[in-house]
Amino acid sequence: MSNHLTEEQYQSGVKAVWRATAILSVVTVVEVAVALILGPHFPKIIMNTFYVLASLAKAFFIVGEFMHLKYEKRAFMLSLGVPLVFLVWAIIAFATEGHYWNVLNYPK
Amino acid sequence: MAEILEINEEHHTDVLTRPDNGEGGEKTVMNISYGKTMMWYFLLSDAFTFSAFLIAYASIRLSQPWWPDPNLVFKSFPGMAHANAPLAFVSVMTFILILSSVAVVRAVQEGHRMNQKGVMLWMIGGIVGGAMFLGCQAWEWNNLITEGLRPYYNPFGPDANGITHLVHEKLSVSPGPIAFGALFFGITGFHGFHVFTGVCINIWAFIATANGTFQRRGHYEMIEKVGLYWHFVDLVWVFVFLAFYLM
Repeated sequence: MSNHLTEEQYQSGVKAVWRATAILSVVTVVEVAVALILGPHFPKIIMNTFYVLASLAKAFFIVGEFMHLKYEKRAFMLSLGVPLVFLVWAIIAFATEGHYWNVLNYPK
Repeated sequence: MAEILEINEEHHTDVLTRPDNGEGGEKTVMNISYGKTMMWYFLLSDAFTFSAFLIAYASIRLSQPWWPDPNLVFKSFPGMAHANAPLAFVSVMTFILILSSVAVVRAVQEGHRMNQKGVMLWMIGGIVGGAMFLGCQAWEWNNLITEGLRPYYNPFGPDANGITHLVHEKLSVSPGPIAFGALFFGITGFHGFHVFTGVCINIWAFIATANGTFQRRGHYEMIEKVGLYWHFVDLVWVFVFLAFYLM
């Protein structure tokens, strides 16, 4: 906790926040523009990969800059990040199972 | 004894240590205050809850041979009856929530400077943004309910060419996948409830700031904790937006 924040630190903090805001806004606008303009002309898998990557980029800016995690200790970041690895398993397992039901119930 | 402890808490302005009560744990680990640590771990558990919902959505959607096209379901805009503006309204909602988050970050920064007026001003921005988002969501829900979407009925079905279209008459069998409505209302509703509680907590934090509670305490750490929750709401929206509107 810095109640002794210098004017310089304050100014650079404010700047960092507006920068993150600009990036988040631009990424959102690009996502929607791409969805509307390129969406109908590209395979779904390519579009979805783009959306997921863009969303993850936004998530990193929100968590890192707005929630200030970028400036915390590395051990603390890991204590939050490592448990999320379970989600990788969950997404793969449940997506596979869902797709399997689809193939089973609605043969082409 | 209890009285002595109370007095200690009152005059204890350093958030990285606690008054020595003889039980240990006076100094925090990882150089982050107890309050913030616990808020972070609560948010981690909340992230798992939302992930479970979104993964359920993904597996049900993948198990269906056909799913409504979001560009053709979410295309209304307030004040423009029967508008064909896919994703426009939800983009506005996303933007409102991002700006509201930014306002709360600015409140935290003013808190570091012990600028009571600044914290109050930016907290108002955060509260107004949250309330606007809730208003937008109410409008969108109302619109979809008017079109006939229910947790047990989905009027958005495929036409002969597999293109999403709205079936106006009420059929005995749902034209589209039934789970669509339940998942949409369930997940956006759970997120909306988080926004609602976030707005309430922000209003409380604003009142406490106006009363000078944090000024007397000597630090604005409470604004940081409230802010963490508020940013988390924004973070979840990124993934709800991805799952329901983009993919």
